[in-house]
Amino acid sequence: MSLLRRPGMLWLALPATAVLLFTYVAPMFGLARMSFNRTLPGGAMQPDWTLATYAEMAADSFNLELTLNSIQLSFTATTFALLLAYPVSLFLFRTESRFRSLLAIIAIGPLLVNGVVRVFGWIAVLGDRGLVNSALLALGLVSEPVRLIYNWTGVTIGLTESLLPYMVLALLAGFGRLDREVEAAAMSLGARPWRVFVRVTLPLSLPAIVLGWLICFILAMSAFVTPKLLGGGRVFVLATQVFEEAVDTVNWPLAAALSVYMLVLLLLFLGAYGALTRRVER
Amino acid sequence: MKPTGPVLRLVVALVYGFILIPIVIVLAVSFSADNYIVFPPSGWSLRWYGTLLATPTLFEAFRVSVMLAALVTVLALACGMPAAFLIARHRFRGRDALFGFFTAPLLLPTLVLALALLLAFHPWGLAATVPGLVLAHLTVTLPFVIRILTTAFANLTPDVEDAAATLGARPFTVFRRVTLPLVVPGLIAATALAFLLSFDETVISLFISGPRLQTLPVAVYHYVERRTDPAIAALSALMITGSIAIVVLVERMVGLMRAVGR
Amino acid sequence: MSHVRLDALSKVYGSNAPAVDDLTLTVERGEFLALLGPSGCGKTTTLRMIAGLVPPTGGTITVGGADVTSLPPYRRNMGLVFQNYALFPHMSVADNIAFGLEMRNLPRSEQTSRIAEALAMVRLEGYEKRRPRELSGGQQQRVALARALVIRPDVLLLDECLSNLDAKLREQMRIEIREIQRRLGITAIFVTHDQVEALTMCDRVALMDRGRLAQVGTPEDVYERPANRFVANFVGRINVMRGEANGASLAVAGAPVAVANAPRTQGTVDVMVRPHRMTIRPEDVAAAAGENRVSGTIGRIVYIGDVIQVAVDTPAGPLVAERTTTGPDWHTLAVGQRVAVAWSAADTLVFPPEAR
Repeated sequence: MSLLRRPGMLWLALPATAVLLFTYVAPMFGLARMSFNRTLPGGAMQPDWTLATYAEMAADSFNLELTLNSIQLSFTATTFALLLAYPVSLFLFRTESRFRSLLAIIAIGPLLVNGVVRVFGWIAVLGDRGLVNSALLALGLVSEPVRLIYNWTGVTIGLTESLLPYMVLALLAGFGRLDREVEAAAMSLGARPWRVFVRVTLPLSLPAIVLGWLICFILAMSAFVTPKLLGGGRVFVLATQVFEEAVDTVNWPLAAALSVYMLVLLLLFLGAYGALTRRVER
Repeated sequence: MKPTGPVLRLVVALVYGFILIPIVIVLAVSFSADNYIVFPPSGWSLRWYGTLLATPTLFEAFRVSVMLAALVTVLALACGMPAAFLIARHRFRGRDALFGFFTAPLLLPTLVLALALLLAFHPWGLAATVPGLVLAHLTVTLPFVIRILTTAFANLTPDVEDAAATLGARPFTVFRRVTLPLVVPGLIAATALAFLLSFDETVISLFISGPRLQTLPVAVYHYVERRTDPAIAALSALMITGSIAIVVLVERMVGLMRAVGR
Repeated sequence: MSHVRLDALSKVYGSNAPAVDDLTLTVERGEFLALLGPSGCGKTTTLRMIAGLVPPTGGTITVGGADVTSLPPYRRNMGLVFQNYALFPHMSVADNIAFGLEMRNLPRSEQTSRIAEALAMVRLEGYEKRRPRELSGGQQQRVALARALVIRPDVLLLDECLSNLDAKLREQMRIEIREIQRRLGITAIFVTHDQVEALTMCDRVALMDRGRLAQVGTPEDVYERPANRFVANFVGRINVMRGEANGASLAVAGAPVAVANAPRTQGTVDVMVRPHRMTIRPEDVAAAAGENRVSGTIGRIVYIGDVIQVAVDTPAGPLVAERTTTGPDWHTLAVGQRVAVAWSAADTLVFPPEAR
C-alpha cells in the first residue's frame, strides 16, 4: 500500500529498538567482555584482556563432567518429551472433538504454570511421602520409599514435563504438511493403519520432529530451575554451575566464560542440525 | 476413516495424566492438615491458606510481582505495537533483519540473558531495583509481544484498509477505525501472555532481584530451597488458579490458540 | 469531453518488466468501460492507480479535468468494489455503508436517508444490523457495491468483483450492476478476465496484454474486428490455420482463400476463423461464390446442448465448426464422414504469425 511506503514511518521501531539495545545488545557485549577479565587470587575482579579464565575453565576436568551431564540429561529429557508429545500432537491435529481447544490448552498448560510451582508439584508426587511412594508402599511393592527426587530421575521427569508444551507447539506447527487425504490414499492402496503411519505419516512429520527436538534440546541445556530444585544440590549441570559462579561464588569472569562456552556448544549443535537437514533434503 | 483410533486415545490420556498430575496433587496438598508434604494427607484443613496470609514476605513479593507485570505489560505493548505494525505492514530494506533483531532474545537461553543483565545492571545501579526488574523483564516480553502482534497485523488483509482509504479515511483514521479494532484479539492475547510471562519469570528475576526486592516466583524459589511444607502448595494453588483464570478469560474472549497463530 | 483520462500511465516494480507500460486511455462520462485481459496483464494495477492505492511511476491521471495523479486515495472520491469485497468485518452492514459518509462529515439525518436509499438500490432492505460474515457471497457483493456508490463517487471502479460468485448469481449480478450503472449515469471501470462479462456488460472494452493496450473498442469491434492476433485469440474461440500471403492473394494448404480485407504482409500468416462462422457442408456440393472451403474427415463430435462442436481433420489442420441443434438434420453427421468446412471471406481474419 502506497501510504505505508514512506521511510518516515521508521520511527515506529524506535522505542523497541532503544529498549532492546539497552537490555539485550549492551548486556550481551558486556557478558563477552567480562569473560576476558582477570580474577585475582583474593577473588577480586580486574579489568583485562586475557584468556586466563578460559584456560582455567579448560583445565578443570569438572567442567567436562558438567558438559557431559548436561548433554546426557538434555538428550534423555528431550527424547522422552518427543515420545510423549508426538501422540498428543497427532491427536490434537486430527481430532474433531469440540473440546479440541481445551485439550490443546491443557497440553501447553505447563507453559502457563510457574516453573517453581511445577517443581513443587513433582516434589509432592515423587517425594518420599508423595503419591507414587504412598502407592508403592500401600501395594506392598516396596518396603521403604524409593528415592525419586533430589537425583537424576527426578530432574529428568521434571525436565521432560517442562519441555512437553514446547515440543507440542513445534510439532503442531510442523504438522501442516500432514494431509488426511494422503493417508486415505495410502489406505485405499491397501496399507494397514500401522503401515500408513510408518510409510506416510512419520516421514511427512520428520522435519517437525527434528525441529522440535532441537528447540527442546537447547531449552534443556540451559534449563536451570528444574535441575537446581529437583536435584536438591546433588545434580550438577552447566546451567547450575553458571548460577553458582555468578551468584554464590561471585566469580563473574568465570560465570561469563561458562556462558560463552555454553552458547558455543549450542551453536555447534545448531550447525550440526543445519548440516543434517541439508543432507536429508538432498 | 476415523480421525483418531483407540490406541492413540489411550496413549494421549496417559500423557495428559502425566501433565496434570503435579498440578492436581498441588491443589490437593494445599488443603492438607499435615506439617509436611504427605500424599494422601492424613486430614484436610485450610490452615496453610491461613499461614500464607500471615507471611508478609510472600505478600510483599506478590505485590511486587503484580505491579511489575502490569508495568512490563504496558511498556511492552507501547513499544511493541508500533514496531510490530511497522514490520507487518511496511515494505522497507532491512525489514527482515529488524524482525530478526527484535526476536533474537527469544532464541537466547534465558540463563545467559539473565547473567548478562546482572553483569550490566550491577555497575549501572539497576540491580535489585524496580526499574532494573522492569527493563530486565522487557528483554523477554517485548520480543514476545512483537512476534504475536506482527502475526496479528500481518493476518489482516490490506484490502480492508485500502477500502477505508478509498472511502475517504485518512491514514490515522484508517488505523483507528479499521486496523486497530481488527487486531483486538491479538492485542488481548498479547496483553494476557505478556502479563503471565512477566509474572511467572523466574530465572532473570533470580539474578536481578535482591533480599529487599523479591518477586513472587523468587520468594517461592527460596522457600522451596529451604523447606517444603503445604504453605507453598497453598500459594501454588492460588498461582495456578490465577493462570487458569487468565487463560480461560482470554480463551473466552478471543480463542487463545487462534491468537497465538497456531 | 472525456471524464477519466489516463496519459502515458506506467508502473514499474523494481527492475521487473513494467506492469503497466505507457497506457493512454479515455473514458467518457457515464460510460461503462471494461479492462479485459489475462491475469498479470496489468489491469488490476491500472485500476489501483486510478483509485490512488498504487503510485504510478510515470504518466498522469485526470478526472473531470483535474489532475489527481498525486492525490492520496482518501481525496479522490472513487468508489472501489474489491474482488473479495473487503467489507469491514467488525461493522454492521449499515456501518459499512455509513463509513464513507462519516468520513465526509455528513449530518446524521442525511446519512440515514442515504443508507436506506443505497440498501434499497441493492435490494437489501432489512439487513442493516447484520454482520458481513452473516451474509451470502452475493449479499456481501451488494453491500460492497452500496458502500462504494453511497458516497456518490466520480468514478465507480470494479475489481473482478463477480469472480467469487457462482455462475447463476454472476449472471444476475451482471444485469443488476449494469442496470444500476445506467440508472445513476455513473462512469464505471470494470476489471475482469472474463470476456463474457466484458462483452455483455460494457459499452467499450479495453484489452490489455503484458502491460500494454492491445485494443479499445465496442464489444462488437473487439469480437468481429480484432486488431491483432492476441485480441482474436483472447476474445472468444477461434480456429487458427497456417497460410501463405503473396501480395493480395492468400493460400491455405495450397488452395486459394478469399479474404475481405487483403493482408498487408508477405509470407507465412495465421488465418483465423471463429467456429460458429464455419459451416459443415456435404463434400460433393459445389462451393457458393466467395465461399472458402476445405475438405476433411469428421474426427470428433462434442454435444454441448444448444450447439454441437464438429472437429474436422483437414489438410489445413484440425478445424472446429459449431452448429446449432435447431432442426432435425444435425443427427446425420457422424465420425469418419467426409465433409467440407466452409466459411465466408468476411469472416476470415489474417494476422502475422505469433512471434514466439
